[in-house]
Amino acid sequence: MTQMQAKQILVPVALTALGAAALYGGALNTGPYWQVVALTLAMWIALIQSWSVFSGLTGYISLGHAVAYGLGAYLMATQFREYPVWVLVPAGGLLAGAFALIVAIPVLRIRGPYFVILTFGLSELVKFALLRLETALGASSRLLFGAPGTVELLTWMIALAAAATLLRHFVGISRFGRGLIAIREDETAAETLGVPVTRYKVLAFALSAVIPGMVGAVMALRSTYFEVLQVFSPTLSFTIVTMAIIGGSGDARGPVLGALFLVSLSEGLRGASPQLYLVLLGICLIAFVLFAPNGLTGLLSGRRK
Amino acid sequence: MLDTLLSGQLLFSVAVLGALYALIGLGLNLVFGTMRLLNIAHGDFLMLGAYSGFWWFTLTGISPLIALPLTALGGAAIGLTLYALVFRQQLAKGLDPAVIEARSLLLFFGISVVIQNLTAMAFTATPRAYRHLDTVYQLGETAMTGNRIATLIVALTILGAMLVFLNRTLFGMEIKALIQHREAARIVGININRVQMVSIAVGFGTVAISGSLLSMTEQVTPFMGFRFTIAAFVVIIMGGLGNILGGIVAGFLLAIIEIYAVTIFSAEARSILIYGAFVAILIISPQGLLGRARR
Amino acid sequence: MLRRQLIGSIVGATALISAFSPALADDPVRIGYTIARTGLFAAAAPSQEQAYTLWAEQVNAAGGLDVGGEMRPVEFVSYDDESDPSKAAQLYERLITSDEVDLLMAPWGTPHHLNVAGVVERYGFPMVGNTAASVMIREVEPGNIWFPTSAIPDQIGPQLAQMLSEAGIGSVAILANVLPFSQENLQFLTPALEAQGIEILMSENYPPDITDMTPLLTQVRAAEPDAVLALTYPADAFLYTGQARELGIDPQLQFLLIGPTIDAFANAFGPVADGIVTLAHWSPEQEAWPRARPFFDAYVARFDQEPDYLDSALAYMSAEILQQAVAEAGLDHDALRAAIAGGTFDTINGEVRFDGVQNAVTPTAFVQRQEGRMQLVWPPEIATASLVTQ
Repeated sequence: MTQMQAKQILVPVALTALGAAALYGGALNTGPYWQVVALTLAMWIALIQSWSVFSGLTGYISLGHAVAYGLGAYLMATQFREYPVWVLVPAGGLLAGAFALIVAIPVLRIRGPYFVILTFGLSELVKFALLRLETALGASSRLLFGAPGTVELLTWMIALAAAATLLRHFVGISRFGRGLIAIREDETAAETLGVPVTRYKVLAFALSAVIPGMVGAVMALRSTYFEVLQVFSPTLSFTIVTMAIIGGSGDARGPVLGALFLVSLSEGLRGASPQLYLVLLGICLIAFVLFAPNGLTGLLSGRRK
Repeated sequence: MLDTLLSGQLLFSVAVLGALYALIGLGLNLVFGTMRLLNIAHGDFLMLGAYSGFWWFTLTGISPLIALPLTALGGAAIGLTLYALVFRQQLAKGLDPAVIEARSLLLFFGISVVIQNLTAMAFTATPRAYRHLDTVYQLGETAMTGNRIATLIVALTILGAMLVFLNRTLFGMEIKALIQHREAARIVGININRVQMVSIAVGFGTVAISGSLLSMTEQVTPFMGFRFTIAAFVVIIMGGLGNILGGIVAGFLLAIIEIYAVTIFSAEARSILIYGAFVAILIISPQGLLGRARR
Repeated sequence: MLRRQLIGSIVGATALISAFSPALADDPVRIGYTIARTGLFAAAAPSQEQAYTLWAEQVNAAGGLDVGGEMRPVEFVSYDDESDPSKAAQLYERLITSDEVDLLMAPWGTPHHLNVAGVVERYGFPMVGNTAASVMIREVEPGNIWFPTSAIPDQIGPQLAQMLSEAGIGSVAILANVLPFSQENLQFLTPALEAQGIEILMSENYPPDITDMTPLLTQVRAAEPDAVLALTYPADAFLYTGQARELGIDPQLQFLLIGPTIDAFANAFGPVADGIVTLAHWSPEQEAWPRARPFFDAYVARFDQEPDYLDSALAYMSAEILQQAVAEAGLDHDALRAAIAGGTFDTINGEVRFDGVQNAVTPTAFVQRQEGRMQLVWPPEIATASLVTQ
């Protein structure tokens, strides 16, 4: 194996595996509170990495990942009594991926800020459609008794975070990924150069929805009580974008840093000043954009984007 | 059904709601059109306007309608402060528009979180409301509550004044020029900074006014803003970004869907219809209904 | 001379400080809770948290909490659960294991209660619930959580139908929000109305973010029902009331599910709010409950607004129950659990006693604002005034 190959394949895989093991081991050795913090951290990593596979590479900022998450959660909540968890989690991912595939072609014709708000509108549309469905089913809220415990959910989530990280990394260094970056730089030029623009965009879009779907399915089990309005939260989409931009979306390191940053900030501020912590969080975000606009990875490598 | 559809009552509702949507979208359109700033805190400035309406009435007993210029000034002041502190230097860097959009999204998200929570800390999250102009007037078959009539009149006046301002005054045309082609505007000698400041002042001032108007009919809470941010974005995207007239038309269109389409189908379908129409319109006409205002 | 003055002022200052902050002198009882200070439920939560605050201030002013004979001051350890039920569960775990609080009080809302129920069960830490109102609470295993509310949909439906029937209502129009509490109520209300022989002229749902009800209300007006039952949440309660009035909808009776018990509702509508019937089981007008009026007056004096007749009352009741249980059993979890499960409590809502997880005494009730005062109009056993129809 050449040195280049080792660097591009072995090292990231090893690092990811190590990180996952460290997180898992660390969480198991501390109390249940920290296990939930680890779960939250893994969740954000999985979500941001997946988001980055599409939005980070193509530059199309999507505020619609709440849909993937919500669809996976909805499937889990409604089918929980019928099928085992290990079937429903991947099924949630497939459902989200399929949905993304179906809407991809019409939706991806739109560019720029129109695209951003369109994904958001789509998210709201799906939310209200599901609300309508629930009302028709007479099941506006559901109880999920007997869900697996935190440790089992943590295992799932760390696996998803690792998978998402590796996905992001390998897509990033692949020809497919280079094609996506070309789309970001100049879509028309890329097309002229022979990049199968539509096919790549659709594939990236669908791919980026699968893991969030699974994340949603796992997270639905955290709560005994399920209600559509709660899992289709717009804050989720905004937070993903926020963390991605803070971390820097150039490669697979960014989302990890972004998630770590936000989770430690939340935990640190929450303990110190429970009343003010959201305000301080907001100020931190603003300061970040103003003084470190290339994200944490930019800061660390001193790179200009 | 047909006589309901043709009734003056529904027409009145469409007028009030449409004018309100149009007014709320106007400020956002100006700010985005001239500076490419994705102000997702837009609804939170509406919320501040709503609180000012509430406190003004509760503390002085005078109609918030009289205080509207003050509310507008307050909104403009906050907007200009943000501009001076944060956005001016960002915009002066000559960055790629996509980068500005991404950064402004993040900045305004932070601002939104700060505003919402500071307000909650200052006033508590308990809902606030007051009675004002709630006499119901009858015009034939149509009943109209005083505060809704006032909302309609104020909103239409401002919208009309805005169109006149943009099309007949120098400043207004400079704003349109900036929206249409930033570089050309600079070359022609327009003072970009000054035009941006006017845009911000007008943009934030009008949304504060709309908040004050809403406080007459809705309960005021620190977290009420987001709903209106979404509505504002739907309106301006449907109408074409930066296209002021398009935004106004889209505001009324949205109201038409909300009222007439609901009458035809069902109230339950309301949100599905609105977001469905929004998604459909964009997919069919990716630049919005009346097209984009810039090159 | 100077030294004596200095010592004198130090002694004086210390005395002053000790007089005004008993917490410095005694070992405080730490009570933990989370509440939705931000997010979806942030507008509803203050009515509960303010009741908690009032209770704590009153307890401390009276010398402290009676812990099995010993008087100790009360101190809160609270977090924002961001309207996220799973975050609430996580934070309660932190309160129990990391902050090691002595007592727990409940968060706001049904989903939060149901989530936290699992946590308190796991740690065997008794907690008195309050603002949870769903038939789902009947599925919770008795053990470490109790629900004093009687506003449960499977009771609300039949009781409302009965009240309407006795008031001579023959037909209704129903409007319902698609959110869970409204839908749950609709599920039980519809068959109950039919059982009473009341005709349902129309029954329509609407989404929570509706901004104009004119089309719906035009339909209602055309149907000319005896009563309108609007299963609302607070935001749409405001919208409904204003627009129904504009359209001249004036039936014999209007019932709103959630909304009219909020202080802002009375401020928004004044005398127009009179006659509207809503869900609550407490009123300061009930003289058989001597604690009711003082609570009302104290709340108004402290916060310059009326308490929420449902949520604030429930929150305060849960605090009173905890207080009385602690006075008897101290802080030991097992003793406390037994005291709450088996005791009879004297609250602002009269007597409360638990049968399993539920309140065995307080009936499902309705209130109606009459001349600016919230009167209990159903059931007859606790009514403070008769139902007024037009």
